[in-house]
Amino acid sequence: MPVNAVETARSAAESGRFSRQFSRWLDRRIPPARSVTLDQRRIFIFPSLPGLFFFVLLLLILLTAINYQNNMAYAVAFLLATLFVVSILHTYANLAGLTLHALSATPAFPGQRSEFRLRLQRSGKAAHYALRLSWPQGSDSVVSLADRESCEVALYVPVGNRGWHNPGRLLLESRYPLGLLRCWTWLDLDLQALVYPRPLPTTAPPGGDGGRPEGNARETAGSDDFHGFRSYRPGDSLRQVHWKAVARGHSLQSKVYAAYASRTAWLDWEAFPGIATEQRLSYLCYWALALEKRGEDYGLTLPGVDIAPASGEAHQDRVLAALALYQHGAAAS
Amino acid sequence: MKRAAAAGTLIPRNALVWIIISQFALLAPHLLRLPLWLVLVYLGTAVWRLLLFQGRASFPGRLVRASLALGGCVAVFLSYGNLLGLEPTVALLLIAFAFKLLELVKPKDAYVLLFLGYFICVIGFLFSQDILFVLYSLFTLVLVTTGLVALHRPREDHFRLGSLRLPALMLAQAFPLMLVLFFLFPRIGPLWTVPVKSHAAKTGVSDFMRPGDISELSQSDDVAFRVQFEGDIPPKSELYWRGLVFSVLEEGAWRSLRYNELPGLELRPPAVEPEGEPLAYTVLMLPTQQNWLYSLRYAQPAQRGILSTADYRLYSPLEIEEQLQYRVRSWPGTPLDPELSDWRRETELALPVQDNPATRALAQRLRDGAADSAAFVDAVLQYFRDEPFVYTLQPPLLTAENSMDQFLLQTRRGFCEHYAYAFVVMMRAAGVPARVVAGYQGGEINPVNRTVIVHQFDAHAWAEVWLKGRGWVRIDPTAAVSPDRIELGLEEAVAAEGSFLANSPLSPLRYRGVNWVNMLRLRYDALTYRWQSWVTGFDGEEQYRLLQDLFGSIRAPVFAGAILLSGMVVLVPVGWWLLQRRRPRPLPPEQRLFLEFCEQMRRRGMTRATGEAPGSFGRRVAREAPQLAGWAMQFIDAFEQLEYGGAPRDAAAYRQHLAGLRQQLRRVPGHRHQG
Repeated sequence: MPVNAVETARSAAESGRFSRQFSRWLDRRIPPARSVTLDQRRIFIFPSLPGLFFFVLLLLILLTAINYQNNMAYAVAFLLATLFVVSILHTYANLAGLTLHALSATPAFPGQRSEFRLRLQRSGKAAHYALRLSWPQGSDSVVSLADRESCEVALYVPVGNRGWHNPGRLLLESRYPLGLLRCWTWLDLDLQALVYPRPLPTTAPPGGDGGRPEGNARETAGSDDFHGFRSYRPGDSLRQVHWKAVARGHSLQSKVYAAYASRTAWLDWEAFPGIATEQRLSYLCYWALALEKRGEDYGLTLPGVDIAPASGEAHQDRVLAALALYQHGAAAS
Repeated sequence: MKRAAAAGTLIPRNALVWIIISQFALLAPHLLRLPLWLVLVYLGTAVWRLLLFQGRASFPGRLVRASLALGGCVAVFLSYGNLLGLEPTVALLLIAFAFKLLELVKPKDAYVLLFLGYFICVIGFLFSQDILFVLYSLFTLVLVTTGLVALHRPREDHFRLGSLRLPALMLAQAFPLMLVLFFLFPRIGPLWTVPVKSHAAKTGVSDFMRPGDISELSQSDDVAFRVQFEGDIPPKSELYWRGLVFSVLEEGAWRSLRYNELPGLELRPPAVEPEGEPLAYTVLMLPTQQNWLYSLRYAQPAQRGILSTADYRLYSPLEIEEQLQYRVRSWPGTPLDPELSDWRRETELALPVQDNPATRALAQRLRDGAADSAAFVDAVLQYFRDEPFVYTLQPPLLTAENSMDQFLLQTRRGFCEHYAYAFVVMMRAAGVPARVVAGYQGGEINPVNRTVIVHQFDAHAWAEVWLKGRGWVRIDPTAAVSPDRIELGLEEAVAAEGSFLANSPLSPLRYRGVNWVNMLRLRYDALTYRWQSWVTGFDGEEQYRLLQDLFGSIRAPVFAGAILLSGMVVLVPVGWWLLQRRRPRPLPPEQRLFLEFCEQMRRRGMTRATGEAPGSFGRRVAREAPQLAGWAMQFIDAFEQLEYGGAPRDAAAYRQHLAGLRQQLRRVPGHRHQG
């Protein structure tokens, strides 16, 4: 068993080294770029599994031709062999001349999926069919550019921890027209998704020097101001149920509303003394979301970062981005 | 699971329809060869598939599929008696083809089905390589390839006829290189023995002759062989195509000598000095499943692989399962067997002891009245002429034990084999060595390409008599009864009877009187001859001659070079054409001029921002570099007029405008400043 384990570890290391070398080679050959046009430097082509079986078929036909001395069987064997060769050109041409533009990547919370948007554009007037795009571990999408010049593609990739998430190289492949060959490329579109901290609910108020916020939150069902979630209790109004979470497969939760006396809050790094960095960021993230829902103004104070109180989607994005990227270099290493 | 959800793993409906179409097209030519139940099974699966398509049936479970497969094998075994011949193999393939339709769910199944389709197309050629069938099969190849292409176009939910375009195009692009490979790929002999067509009937003249056999053969209008003479075609009455020599009469039937009946000294043909000018010709024979070949007498093969027998016939060591083309030279004037060996004389005189006493008596009577053997032969022929003998395709059945007595003295109606039979029996009875020869007589001369087409109804039997000093002499007793048969052919000979091809009312040969039908038939026959001799008959020997003519010597590098070179010649244009259509279209000239303008401005430190309109860029240039203002605004005005309308669009004015724009660009004031 230990020998086995060592073997496994070694082979894992070997394959790790190999894949590192491969990715270095790939980086040199197809450097990261926001927009890539496919040409012979970037396109790989090799027989697919059905293509290999096609070879077996050709061999069978050739044997039939030889053993029965049948000229028309010879002719079919050669016609299909040449068809294979011609299909190399067709399969290659199906990818050649395509341009991919990176458009955007939506920020996401850990465990969620980020939406990566790309634009596919053809350069000539010839159609491209059955282009399959996928990121490792992500969703895939099959599109054709037959009667349109370009199209947008959205791919969903699960993201990891707080910070920038690099989805790796995008795989673009196609087996059109005969399926006997697979033509593909690995592209780095220089597209990264921002990953926010995981929001963790906390009862502690967003702390504050200067006695902010004033007054305590009171749970009042039916009030207008969102306070948080709690699990559904019989008797809760159906309007309180958090249907979006249900749709995502979570258990029934009720929205809880609260009213505050004051409407300005500071999200302060120092409000959670003695708590680890990530957890603090998670609390702050939770409160940023909660306060934004309530429509209150809130500001953010982190070591080295100060964002004046405001509200609105743009403000929230700024705040969450600041949380996501706080000490990111250190956290990543 | 994630991948299964992607659109690429479902079979688009368009592909499904094409797969079913291609299956029916592939199956159709086999329909007449297959047992009826298999056709019904096929229709059943197609209906099932249709119901699946409409959601009114479900896919068969594993148990059902297994029992269907097993049942299919058992049924094939019961139908054919074995599973190893070619026909049962084809039946099994077709059953697999049908049942696979029922489990066609994923692209993987479609690949299996389509690849099987390609193979079934090839199997069809083992039964026929006829030019029309080959064209049809090419079409089925396009259909199967269409299925393959449609499989890779996602989300095509409706049948599209246009799907045929790309596969037809790709096969057309593949065609030239296929021709090169066809002519250059080395032809080698069979690697191992393969199942043969167990049910393919032996055709043509058999090595066994009973009265009635040849008249039966004469019901068929199939082509037996075609002959191309290098020189003039001899007269029809001289075209006696020898195939078999019957020397043994046993139990009322004639048969040829078996190889093991020949004494050692008689195995090889006696040496004969050819006399006169040879006739050189090529025979293209269709498969007979027999060994003997047809030739004019005294024939010598002009190629390897063909043997000569002791009775001066040509013989192939292998049964003729595919068409065979052979070159022959014949010296018709050469005497055969000028000296007869004792064994041979004894053999050619043998008669069963007590048979046909009346015939023997008749022969003896005629022999006694004749001075020598030659005169006796004439006497017998005269007897056939004088007595009321009738040449007929519908002779009465000879039932008596002494059948020749019955024929000569009672019925007197017979076909060539009756006359040849009776004649040889009379000769032998009177001590003249004689034998029956079977083969074909005459043939139809195709004016289109000067080939002689020999049909099955030209089958004939005649006699050879050995006369001292002359060797074997051909005597055709039928000619004595019906000279028309030899001079004009069977159709005229039995015209009064109306029995020519009585069983095939649709045969085009029956409409030879209608001029255009006949011309069409002869033209198609000429095409078939050319096809069979050049394409389906192309073999190692032919290839060797062709390559030697082309390259002088035959070496592997020459082969490889030729294949590579022709591959390049064929594929480079295809690749260029494909990629051409994917290159960005060149910009219109005025836009290229505008880009040139932007580039000049960039060198002066004014870079056009992405999305900045030409007008606003021009105004910015004018603001930032006042010395260029007039020039830049003029250029931009001219450009905008051309680009955004206002400017005349007819070709001459457009060109003039463009020239103005180009000049404008050259008159850039900055040059002096920079210089």
